Amino acid sequence: MTRWPRIGWKTRLSLTSWILGTVTVIFLTYQWLPIFTLGLLSFSGPTGGTTFPMNGTSFHWYQEVWRATVMNDFKPPLMRSTLLAAACSLTTIVLSVMAAQAMRGQFRGNSWFFYLMLLGIMAPGILVGFGFAIMMRILGVELSWDTTTFLVQVSWTLPFGFLTMLAVFNRFDTRVEEAALTLGASRLKTFRRITLPLVLPGVIGAGLFGFSLSYDEYARSMFTTGPDTTLPLAVMAQLDRQLTPEIYAIGTTTTLFSLIAVTLCTAGLWAMRRSTSLRRS
Amino acid sequence: MSTIRVRSAASYWLAVPAAAWMLGVVVVPIVLLVWVSLWGGRAFSTASPLTIDNYIRFFSNQTYLKLVGTTLVHTATLMAVTGVLGYCIAYFLTMKVKSPLWRTVLFLAFIVPFWTSTLIRAIAWVPFLGVNGVINQTLMFVGATQSPIEAFLYSRTGITMAQVSLYTMMAAGPVVYMLNSIAPQLREAAMTLKAPPLTVFWRIVFPLTLPGVVIGQVLVFLNVMSDFATVATIGGNKHALLSNLVLLFYEGSQIRAASVVAVLLMVCMLIGVVVALRVVDIRRLGADR
Repeated sequence: MTRWPRIGWKTRLSLTSWILGTVTVIFLTYQWLPIFTLGLLSFSGPTGGTTFPMNGTSFHWYQEVWRATVMNDFKPPLMRSTLLAAACSLTTIVLSVMAAQAMRGQFRGNSWFFYLMLLGIMAPGILVGFGFAIMMRILGVELSWDTTTFLVQVSWTLPFGFLTMLAVFNRFDTRVEEAALTLGASRLKTFRRITLPLVLPGVIGAGLFGFSLSYDEYARSMFTTGPDTTLPLAVMAQLDRQLTPEIYAIGTTTTLFSLIAVTLCTAGLWAMRRSTSLRRS
Repeated sequence: MSTIRVRSAASYWLAVPAAAWMLGVVVVPIVLLVWVSLWGGRAFSTASPLTIDNYIRFFSNQTYLKLVGTTLVHTATLMAVTGVLGYCIAYFLTMKVKSPLWRTVLFLAFIVPFWTSTLIRAIAWVPFLGVNGVINQTLMFVGATQSPIEAFLYSRTGITMAQVSLYTMMAAGPVVYMLNSIAPQLREAAMTLKAPPLTVFWRIVFPLTLPGVVIGQVLVFLNVMSDFATVATIGGNKHALLSNLVLLFYEGSQIRAASVVAVLLMVCMLIGVVVALRVVDIRRLGADR
């Protein structure tokens, strides 16, 4: 009598496992299938439409992207988006390391500062972008991708970098700093020679996060970019004009680039963590 | 002792650039929107007299009021779907998957799309939903329907389907974090005291993950409320939510009306966040930062 209910639990437990596992797998398929379809359809033939059948396979739509006319040339927007993302990433790195270091100093009002940063994540892009565009109009500043869009996008990437750096400093072993300081190194020198090298993987992570967030940002850029658009804006404009597999080709290319960047960075961080932990032991 | 002295002037000055940036680009513009929404007259001028006419005009229009309702219902639907789905997935990943390799692989499979453009992922749904789209072709091939269903592309159903795929991970992520922080001894203790698994879940595990659930719901709420891009991509011009109205008015140079909608959106979001904070103390989560 005492053994039966236990077995009942076990079968019930494995049943829940199976149900939850099925839900997970179905959702994974659901999440990935559109991305794969996008990739597949981007290789459809010259007469292929925006859905199946593909009418043959070709690189036609990729070639189309490459030798584009002025109307739908995606190369300048791509260039702008990349430059903008790099600038945002660098700014995020510098400011978020400074801000996280400041949080360690527990200055007065640091909890307000923390909430201010959280607000940057919480505040939706459409409100920030719209509000900033109005502010620029009141101030009489011309909208442009390399000034106003940059300012707005950093306000989006910075809080994420800040939170990343807080997490990194949280796990940081302060005893190594103490050792350096006790041995007579100045605070600045200790930071440069001891702290910074140790948190470097986190810094790179924050930078990459910033790059990706800025590169993909649409809502904030939409209100604040002048006549020269960034890539997401160009894609959306093309979508409004005409939906062709050309958009799928661009989508596939940028997705592939993101994936490669993530893979490289994860691998780099992993290798770095391995080397530092080896040195420590 | 660390590289920065506690409560030093240096720590203060290090925080100033970031704080100034956030104040200037996020806080001031949002406050500005409230001001602009109160402008009277027609010209774009800071000398406009202040009235609440813009709000009266908005709230006396039945269509707009209905749109507010539609937006809230749509958001609530998504919160419910992503909440349940996200919890199931989070529970499976942290509690049921034992092999570290599989766990890493599954985590990556979920997280990697997060690093790609949301816009592209929304566009990726278009070939699925159309009249000749993949879903209709499959349904007709299986024989579920004779003629294609037009209810997917340019419909709320299609928008919901795409947004579920975009935002479920936001609901699941915080839950995964909270599940991981539950000490296994707690469950073991309950099990030793002969609590059945379901009781262990509802009395021990779920209450401990509640903060994660709430934070996930807040993230989904905020994102769906302001996600005009997916609605525009999949809903075409036929469907709009509150956030699309901001854009519509903005493009029509009706700055005041756009500000009114933006303020309304902001108020909805503030209420949502405040309600969530009543349930969960966010500072307790930040305590171990």
